[in-house]
Order: sequence, then structure tokens, then C-alpha cells
Amino acid sequence: MSSEWVVDGLEADLDHFHLGPVDLTLTPGRAVAVLGASGAGKTTLLRALAGFLRVTRGRILRDGVDISEWEPEERGLGYVPQGLGLLPHRTVAGNVRYPMEIRARADAGPRTRELLERFHLGPLAQRYPARLSGGEQQRVAIARALAADPGLIVWDEPWQGLDVLARHELGSVLDDLRATEQVPIVLVTHDPALAFSIADSFVVLTAGRVREQCDALTLMAAPADAFVARFVGFENVFEPSALAGGAPGSFRSWLRQRVGGDGVAFASPDLPGRDGSDPIWEGKVRSVRPTPQGITIEVVADELMVTLRMPSPVTPPLPTLGERVAFRIDPASLRPLRAAGGRGPGG
Amino acid sequence: MSRGVGAPPASAPRRHWRTGPLWLALQLVLSGSLLLLFVVPILALFTYAPIGDLFSAAGSAGVRAALWLTFFSSGLAVLAAVLFGIPMGYLLARRSFRGRSIVESLVALPVVVPHLLVGLGLFLLVIRGTPGYEFTRAIGFPVYDTIWGVVLVMIFVSAPYTVLASELSFRAVDGRVIEAARSLGAGPATAFLTVTLPLALRGIVAGLLLSWARAVSEIGGLLVIAYAVYPAGPYNGPVTSTISVYIYNVFQNGNLADAAAVSSLFLLIAFVLFLLVRIGERSGWVPWRRGDLAP
Repeated sequence: MSSEWVVDGLEADLDHFHLGPVDLTLTPGRAVAVLGASGAGKTTLLRALAGFLRVTRGRILRDGVDISEWEPEERGLGYVPQGLGLLPHRTVAGNVRYPMEIRARADAGPRTRELLERFHLGPLAQRYPARLSGGEQQRVAIARALAADPGLIVWDEPWQGLDVLARHELGSVLDDLRATEQVPIVLVTHDPALAFSIADSFVVLTAGRVREQCDALTLMAAPADAFVARFVGFENVFEPSALAGGAPGSFRSWLRQRVGGDGVAFASPDLPGRDGSDPIWEGKVRSVRPTPQGITIEVVADELMVTLRMPSPVTPPLPTLGERVAFRIDPASLRPLRAAGGRGPGG
Repeated sequence: MSRGVGAPPASAPRRHWRTGPLWLALQLVLSGSLLLLFVVPILALFTYAPIGDLFSAAGSAGVRAALWLTFFSSGLAVLAAVLFGIPMGYLLARRSFRGRSIVESLVALPVVVPHLLVGLGLFLLVIRGTPGYEFTRAIGFPVYDTIWGVVLVMIFVSAPYTVLASELSFRAVDGRVIEAARSLGAGPATAFLTVTLPLALRGIVAGLLLSWARAVSEIGGLLVIAYAVYPAGPYNGPVTSTISVYIYNVFQNGNLADAAAVSSLFLLIAFVLFLLVRIGERSGWVPWRRGDLAP
């Protein structure tokens, strides 16, 4: 049952928090990730979509029909809340069967078995949720959501509380879901790295407002502002005020000239820098930390804290604290931040 | 730095080993003393009268009538707690409205007032010549010295436990689980019956048990409003009383052995009932603990 959903200027209020206006188009088989820090309104948006929060302005259209006044059970939307909302007093099979049981569906038995099979829950059918691992609980939640034949799956923090292996597994389950079910999916997360692994497009919320809405490539190529840039994982983000000052020919003035008065974001340059015509800058090492991607090195260059990386495999010797190291920045890697960049959170 | 960090790890496990048993002993002594206080007076009751008296008490028609009255009226009081108390607990848990704290205080009031006052208040409402008297007679539920008086007092003193326990239990149900169920297609009533109520049931049942215990043990209010009870109607046919009033009477008449025997019999019944519920919970016969105990 695939439907197209359009969220049109949706606004909602929760106590003193105002959400919106939010515009979204959700197409079958595509996943939208809603990103944002804690308290940005991600859960509020999902609850408004699912019908647990009154929409004060705007519409939610399902195949052209405005459902913004409908009861949650009428919306045909699979809402998986934070913590999954599994029924603790029902077994795995009982949970998966639940939506079909309350609709008195004749094929509840075979369909339950089919879903249990598909999500490898057969051996766990008679267990209670409290006795399952995080990854197993996630699979029960998905199987149960599908049992209701939803026209949209809305999932709050799918990766919460999962270990690395379970996250990986969830990723492939979600991929499979997208490929086979042709249902639009909306995911909420505060972890951009995970969102990139699954979503086709992104909505970044800040203080209840949509700050950015685009696909992954655009988000990486041209982050809207300093907040979004930091949020999507750029290690080096400088607002215009940080670039001010610096003598002619200095690091800061070079950056300023490249982006023309806006802020700038760039990924960590490699160390040692590749040969080229780009100027060589020098920084004093402040910290050296190993990561799976290599060694992350923070240096201070012309009063800016710049993050560099020695990619794996690392060839010793490692820089020591206080040492001066040279690096280059490929001008093509610089992402100018639009004028709004100066107004990040708290700025 | 190495000196400061080096010393504690060596001594920490040893200190733990030393204080562990002491701490345990303290807990055992404190809780043991309290348990002793519960058990010793009961033992005194059981040992005062010969065990044969207990059987003859069980055979006495007067005792049986009093037991029947007590269990019947406390059963009705629990039924009232189910019908009125659980919805009220739900209301208090799920809705916020102006004056809710006043309502909550009013609900707690019967727990704190001396129950003699309850009897007195009801008495003033329904004595001969008052509109309450005429009204209760007209609808066929006269209160003074009747089974309805007993039930009314019992509801008053016992229902608050159900209201408070239901409120807490409903509040403890994770709202997200209910929302998930709603989104899966359950209307408000279905979600209540299939999710909220089953999840809150354990706490509610605990509250109902407390309510029942409170109803059965009531005496203060009954001394005023239903000291003598005419099951067939006011001053009509045989007279009896609740078991608490019955024991009080026997004791007032100076018949200590009989009072002890009837008390022991009552205690035995109450204890067995409670034990059955606990064992039922333990072994999963009753539905409200499924999920916690599962393999």
C-alpha cells in the first residue's frame, strides 16, 4: 500500500515550543532523515504526523486527502516511537499479531508467521520483549509496523541503544525494507553519520524550524550554515567573525579571500599534505588522537584551531604536542557558508 | 599521583569485605524486629485459646453470620472500588485540570481521618427526620443498622487505596507504548483495554487487595452506623454484625478465650487468601505479571 504524502506548511505547538512551518514530500521507497540536536523538534514533528499532537496550521496530505484532523489509528502510518513501544505483556508473536488482531484480520495467523520468518524471529516467537536484545527488539518493531500495512513508516531514533553490530544489521534491514515495501520512510536521528547511511534526503531542524532540506550530496557540497556544517560532520567550520583579522598573506586572510566574506567549512586535510601549488601553512600541535580513520591531529594555525588527519595506515613518527607541522588545503575542498552562517545556535 | 592512586585499590576490597556482613546484620536485625512485632501478638492470639475453640468458633452460627456479612459487604465495597475507583484513578493520571490537587487531597482524606468521624458524619446524614433518612428509605437502601450502612462505611474507608494505586499504575504506563498501539490501529477504547489496563493491572490489583483488607478490618465507623446489622431490613428478623464488631462485643463481655478464638479464625482466613494471591502472582497463574516472569 504505497502512498504519497505531502506535508504542507505544518505548524504545531507543544507548551512553549513552536514547530514549523515544515514542508515535506514523501515518496514511496524513499527515506527522509530528520536531523537536529536534542530539543530541535524532531519528535514533535513525528508526533504531529502520527496524530498525537494537534496541527495548528498547515495540512498533511495522503494521496491528496487532508488527514491532519484524523485520529492516529485512521492515518495508516506506522509510528515507531523512541524506545520502540513494544507491548511488554505480549510475546514477540503477540506483538506482531497485534495490529491484525485488533482489525480481526482473517489471515492474522499465516501473516504473523510470514513476518516472523522474514525478520528471523521464528525462534523468538514465544519470548517477551524484555528478554530480547536491542537488535531483536528493533526487528520485532519493524515486523509489527509492517503487519499494519502502513502507508508511511515514521521512526524515532532507530539506532538508539544499539551496539555497532546491531546498527549494521538494522541498516541492511532498512535497505531491504525500502527496496521491497515501496513505503516512504521518515527517520529521526541526532547522528548524521547514521542518517547518511540510509536516507535519500535530509531535513535539518533547529529550534522547531527547518534550517536545511536537500539530498545528501547537496548537504555535503553546500551546507547552509555553520550549524548545519558542524552537524553533518565537517570538522573545520569557521564563521566570518573567526576569519576576521590576520595579516595579508596569513592563513586567515587566504581563507577569507577564497570564500569572499562568508564563513567556511572544510573536511580535515591530510597530513602530510600532497604536493601541489597550494600554499603551505604551519600549525602547532594541540592534540593527537587515534580514530578508525587514522590519526586526528588538532593544530593552531593563525589563531584558528584546525583539525588534520593522518590517514590509515599511519606511517610513524607521529607528531608530538607542541611540534610545528606543515599542511596544505585544497581550495576545492572549501565550502563557503551562506550569509546566514553567522547565526548558528547561540550566535 | 601514583602514590595517591596506588593505595586505595589495595585496601578497598578488604574494607568492602569487612563491612558487608555488618551491613547485612544491621538490615536483618532491623527488619527482624519489625517482623517480630507483627508476629508476636498474632502468636499470642493463636496460643491463648485451645485450638479446639477455633473449630467450635468456626461451627458457631453467630460467627458464621458475622463472617458472611463481613466478606459479603467487603466484596461489595471492592466492587464499588472497581466501578468507581479505577476510572477515577485513570482520570487523575491522564487529565490535568484545575483543582486536581484539591481532588487528590480529598481522595486521600479518608485515609487520614479517624474512622469514628466517618461513622458520625454518615450518622448525621441519615438519622431519623433528616432528608437523607427519607431518601435512603424511599430508594430501598436504608443505611442505619443495615448491610448498606456497612457497605457505605467500607467504601468510604477502602476505595481511596484503589484510586491512589490505579492513579500511580496508570501514570507508570509508558505513553509511547500506548501511542504505538494507537498508530497500529487501536482506537482509544481498544488501546485502553489491550494496553493501558493490562499494563496497569498489577498495581491496580495490589490497590484492590489493600482496599479489601481495609474494608474487612474496619470497625470505627461501623461502631457508630452499623453496630447491629439486620440483614433482612431495619429491626426485622435476625441480627448480626461484622466480624470486627463481633470480636469487640465478645471482648467487651469479658470472654477473652472466645474473642481470641474468633480472631484467630479470621486471621487464618485472611492470611490464606493473601497467600493464595501471592503464590498466584509468583507462579504466573494470574495475568497481571506476564511479561516480567517470562523465560
